[in-house]
Amino acid sequence: MSAPIIKIDAISKSFGTFKVLDGLSMQVMPREKLALIGPSGSGKTTILRILMTLERIDSGHIQIDGEQLYHMERNGQLLAADERHLAKMRQKIGMVFQLFNLFPHKSVIDNVTLAPILTKGMPRAAAEKGAMELLDMVGMADKAKSMPAQLSGGQKQRVAIARALALQPRIMLFDEVTSALDPELVEEVLNVLWRLCSETDMTMLLVTHEMGFAHDFADRVLFFDRGKIVEEGKPDEIFRNPKQERTQGFLKKIIAAGHRV
Amino acid sequence: MTQWSGYLGLILQGALITIELTLMGSVLALIMAFLAGLGRLSRFFVFRALATAYIEFFRGTSIFVQLFWAYFVLPFIGISLTPLQAGVLALGLNVGAYAAEVVRGAIQSIGREQYEACTALNLGRWQGMRHVILPQALLVMLPTFGNNAIELLKATAVVSLISLTDLTFQAQVVRSQTGNTLVPFTTILIIYFVLALVISWGVRSLERRMARGLDGVRV
Repeated sequence: MSAPIIKIDAISKSFGTFKVLDGLSMQVMPREKLALIGPSGSGKTTILRILMTLERIDSGHIQIDGEQLYHMERNGQLLAADERHLAKMRQKIGMVFQLFNLFPHKSVIDNVTLAPILTKGMPRAAAEKGAMELLDMVGMADKAKSMPAQLSGGQKQRVAIARALALQPRIMLFDEVTSALDPELVEEVLNVLWRLCSETDMTMLLVTHEMGFAHDFADRVLFFDRGKIVEEGKPDEIFRNPKQERTQGFLKKIIAAGHRV
Repeated sequence: MTQWSGYLGLILQGALITIELTLMGSVLALIMAFLAGLGRLSRFFVFRALATAYIEFFRGTSIFVQLFWAYFVLPFIGISLTPLQAGVLALGLNVGAYAAEVVRGAIQSIGREQYEACTALNLGRWQGMRHVILPQALLVMLPTFGNNAIELLKATAVVSLISLTDLTFQAQVVRSQTGNTLVPFTTILIIYFVLALVISWGVRSLERRMARGLDGVRV
């Protein structure tokens, strides 16, 4: 049995007096596809943001691929990670945001090539070749020269996915990537996720309200509430036969709101 | 009959000095604006303190006094400047202090999500600033930079007080030689105004060029 690629050990995080994560522990195996569900404010997005080093933890430890994320080992002691260590760790992780966060002043292809050129020292020609392959995979090759403002939300999100993939991360984090989209555009983004899921061996963590997709996509579903994992299991167990009252209540509300399970 | 053509030549020579002063002062102001504006946002206390001290000092004291100081006081510590050098120094440092706040404000106006995208793509602080934040912030800065440049142009008139032969100085010369006040001062009024128009027109067209493709995003 292989070692977990993500190992979260008793982490806590507060924003002011609001405790978002409360002594949370969890593990993710390499290649595993995880869906994180739960009411808003339950801490699921915060976990992704912590893994991407966009938020710091108050206490606890995180290991990525056997290495400490927020700590460095020096002479047998654990010290707080410096920027250099964080930069090294970030190479393993990519993230796609709810609001795409494309660079509005750069064309589609420049959005995708910027990081490989700057952070990996890739020659422009090679970076563009790689970018075109990725844009082709997400169905955006014909828009390579467009500016983000000329794209629909679904198209922007597909570019954002290509941009994150260009750094070849081992772990991909998707933070409600379809929540800001018009309903008719959700499908095209989910199709891309589906391809990634079936064609690559990346570890994927997906925070979503698309329960139907989570069911088909995930190897394991985690239900979060108030900073803790209330229930976890195979998609069928969680969606068809939830054991915890809070999970049942949440799913009932989601279905009432018109989401397909 | 007064020989106006000769006097006009004198005033145009003054206009050249004014333009030279404006251009050189703007370059210095721009450099100071970015140094101090970025300094204000630095992680390091020393840079923040230096930048704040510079900005507050030069905004809080008169441009006249700054100019006199550069020209008349610096020689006492062994730094003798020509009137042009003293003018560029005083104008550049003074307007740079105002423009530094423009730089800071524009950088802070760029949404947090752009910084987060930089982090997620593992860009270093400077890489993100250079390639993502500043190009967008520049567009926000431009209109106010235009204002600052016009302010600088108008402030150049003070250098006539240290006998630099700029527009205003030459107008005084013409007035004292001809005894006519209306013609020289009306002429330079118009020239200042035309120069200011050129600046705002230039900044606007630069703005349009930079905003291309960004429609609906910012500005």
